[in-house]
Amino acid sequence: MTVAAGIGYALVALGPSLSLFLALISKKPFLILTLLSSTLVWLMSLIVMSALWRAFLPLKTTVWWPYTILILTSVGFQEALRILFWKVYKKLEDILDAFADRVSKPRLFMTDKMQIALAGGLGHGVAHAVFFCLGLLTPAFGPATYYVEKCSKMPFFLVSAIIALAFATIHTFSMVIAFSGYEEGNKVDQCFAPVVHFIAGMLTLINLAFGGCTISIPLLYCVAIVTLVHCGKMAWRRLIENRSREGNLSNSQ
Amino acid sequence: MDTTGSILESIGVEIIGVMSPVSICMFLVVLLISFLSSTTSPTTSSIRTAANLVYLETPSDSTTQKLEGALLNAAVFILLITLVTFLLVILYYYRFTNFLKYYIRFSALMVLGSMGGSILLSIIQIGNIPIDCVTFTVILLNFTVLGVLSVFSNGVPILVNQMYMVALGIIVAVWFTKLPEWTTWVLLVALALYDLVAVLAPGGPLKMLVELASSRDDELPALVYEARPNVGSRAGSRGQSLGVLLAGVSEGEAVELSVMSSSENVGSDGRGVSETRSGNVGRDGRGANETRSGNVGRDGRGLNETRRGNVGRDGRGLNETRSGNVGRDGRGMNETRSENEEIDGVREVEIEGETLPLMGGGDGRERAMANEEIRESNESDRGRVLERIIEGAEERERGIRLGLGDFVFYSVLVGRAAMYDMMTVYACYLAIISGLACTLILLAVCRHALPALPISIALGVIFYFLTRLLMEPFVVGTSTNLLMF
Repeated sequence: MTVAAGIGYALVALGPSLSLFLALISKKPFLILTLLSSTLVWLMSLIVMSALWRAFLPLKTTVWWPYTILILTSVGFQEALRILFWKVYKKLEDILDAFADRVSKPRLFMTDKMQIALAGGLGHGVAHAVFFCLGLLTPAFGPATYYVEKCSKMPFFLVSAIIALAFATIHTFSMVIAFSGYEEGNKVDQCFAPVVHFIAGMLTLINLAFGGCTISIPLLYCVAIVTLVHCGKMAWRRLIENRSREGNLSNSQ
Repeated sequence: MDTTGSILESIGVEIIGVMSPVSICMFLVVLLISFLSSTTSPTTSSIRTAANLVYLETPSDSTTQKLEGALLNAAVFILLITLVTFLLVILYYYRFTNFLKYYIRFSALMVLGSMGGSILLSIIQIGNIPIDCVTFTVILLNFTVLGVLSVFSNGVPILVNQMYMVALGIIVAVWFTKLPEWTTWVLLVALALYDLVAVLAPGGPLKMLVELASSRDDELPALVYEARPNVGSRAGSRGQSLGVLLAGVSEGEAVELSVMSSSENVGSDGRGVSETRSGNVGRDGRGANETRSGNVGRDGRGLNETRRGNVGRDGRGLNETRSGNVGRDGRGMNETRSENEEIDGVREVEIEGETLPLMGGGDGRERAMANEEIRESNESDRGRVLERIIEGAEERERGIRLGLGDFVFYSVLVGRAAMYDMMTVYACYLAIISGLACTLILLAVCRHALPALPISIALGVIFYFLTRLLMEPFVVGTSTNLLMF
């Protein structure tokens, strides 16, 4: 509606990510590089999916099952990329540890690893917010606004910003959960990220129905909060275990 | 949670040191362009510059006509640039270095003054800023003079120098985006190819320039952005981290390479030369701004840049780690610029056959170790002189260099993407940054001058067209239906 509104929408979608970035990531250049590379990976997955689906577009909005398949394939592809990301990260971890030995510094701490996972997840979340919300925000800086018929109570920009915020949270923290699941071999954590992603994607299908956004957005936020809480509990547990293990080690010496 | 001394703090500082000014330049160019074109002004593309000498694009031409015209334009532009670069090589060969330096200062003056001034005028016009002529002139004059002063002098703080480099890049890039669309894209691709040939092929002008400079152990007069890490801000291996990291990967290989000044060097203990090269000397916007009609003679000379090819300059600022048993020295991706005569003194000593150890970062321990070695390997008095000189000199040296042409053309690509839509801007930004990261990593591996344009421009152009043709309908279609994943 004006520049102020445009900036407002952008901050709704990206505000928490920005504060995470400034607080944690901006001081460590390696994390910035991780963030940029995971954003790039997400962008490439989006391009691949759009190349696949280009022939079928534009889809009719009255029929909803093509959208289901679209979401299924996209989520599946992105989860496969997450596993690939994990494998690349393992190799990188070995290189970093070897480097640390060479310069006689301590190896990667557990918190370092979790920070790298957080930066990777934040990259995915920021990429989602940027491409699904910010890319369309240019008209919002002008004098008018836009409403979608299916969700006519709020401007489209605000709705997409709110959804983008939920998804950014989900992406960020599910990456941390997934990485720690792969590292510890915890099946629950490993399956958590794809399942949550899938559920969140399916929830947005409800938006196709008239007035659906009043149902799907609160549900989406429930999913985001579940992710947050689970990640918090997992991180807390691992930190406590780590501290007690270090305590035992130093006690036994 | 004890993270002091974690390696995560220090890896990748140099890459970020180069990426942040590039990102800032691109961001400001996008802002300026969206601000300046927010009011549709129809008279934009009617200027005739060297980049569209042959063919003036109008929206009503057919596709093949536009394509042919754009190719002709690009060919003429590249030809002009090649000629000017060869002229520069000749001038440099006959030691007209001072002339070149003054010429570059003059071109910085013209870019900042007249081109920057006209951009400022359009901003004032569009933004309805109340400012009078006298104030405007005083501000512009001060801005320009400080810029000219900061270009080649040592007394100006490096931050001011860096800011003015970014400002020059922004101004020239905004001017370049006034070119018509097809011409811009074809020109970008042609310039990337030219850069590749000119730097790597045996007869290329830039390669000759770099070799000339290194054989004279002299610094090329050029506009180059130098990214210096903060000296003394953190203890421990700063600059050398990436170099050693890559050294670890390619195991067993002696990482030090002496590239250019092998004549003065003993053995393979070299000076790691990692430099990035980028645009060329003379590849200037000179093209873009030779107006045939008599307006203000502006020359986008802003693009003179080159890089300092020289390494042999005794490893100034090439960082290394000397952990006790590692047999090789990791050279960081830094190079230095030697500006003082003191350093020549060092070189003479070096000719005696000692390999000059490279000084690491502000880490006292490493410096002490290197000092030990210097003292051991030299004669006592010479050694002490060396120490002092090195310690004095090391504060100034260090940093990856990126030529100003790279800034300009990355920003031109992103600015042109901004004229279409913001989604292409983000995609192109990511592509360019990843291309730059690849180039920097290649630089650390190859250790000689590399063109910084080709990979980034190639990725940028590919991503632009992929995004515009494939991704945009997909994403816009799903997100306007509030369907997201």
